[in-house]
Amino acid sequence: MLGAQVLGVSTDSKFSHLAWVNQELGELTYPLLADFTKRVAKEYGVLLEKLGAALRGTFLIGPDGLVRAYTVQDLTVGRSVDEILRLVSALKTGNLCPAGWRPGEPFLPPIPKNTGK
Amino acid sequence: MAVQVNSPAPAFELSGVVGKEYRKIKLSDYQGKWVVLFFYPLDFTPI
Repeated sequence: MLGAQVLGVSTDSKFSHLAWVNQELGELTYPLLADFTKRVAKEYGVLLEKLGAALRGTFLIGPDGLVRAYTVQDLTVGRSVDEILRLVSALKTGNLCPAGWRPGEPFLPPIPKNTGK
Repeated sequence: MAVQVNSPAPAFELSGVVGKEYRKIKLSDYQGKWVVLFFYPLDFTPI
């Protein structure tokens, strides 16, 4: 995905993951991680404690390890892959991308350093 | 502590499936790369 590494996580076991891959998914191009203790989901603020399962949270993490964007939605609504790609593209440019920016469209001019003084 | 934009992503090391094999994966394995980390509720359901 645009040179980014995709990682999928749920609170299922690695055994469940492999069974899913074998029975339904076929060859998957990215890792599926087993947060069986639910610690990681909790730390990222996406754990539904009663259900013991994670919300549909998506975190974009930069090469320096900083979180640059995230979205979390309830279980009933799937993600927009298109929006994730748009965000990764925009963040990777390092430029100012206006609302609704799409790859290939112009950036905003840099904000002058003395603005707001 | 909640995750915040512009703050370090919480580190983790988890077992998982890569291809058809079990492997341990750390977030720091991907330092220097963009990472799309996504959580989903349950295997065997549409993501």
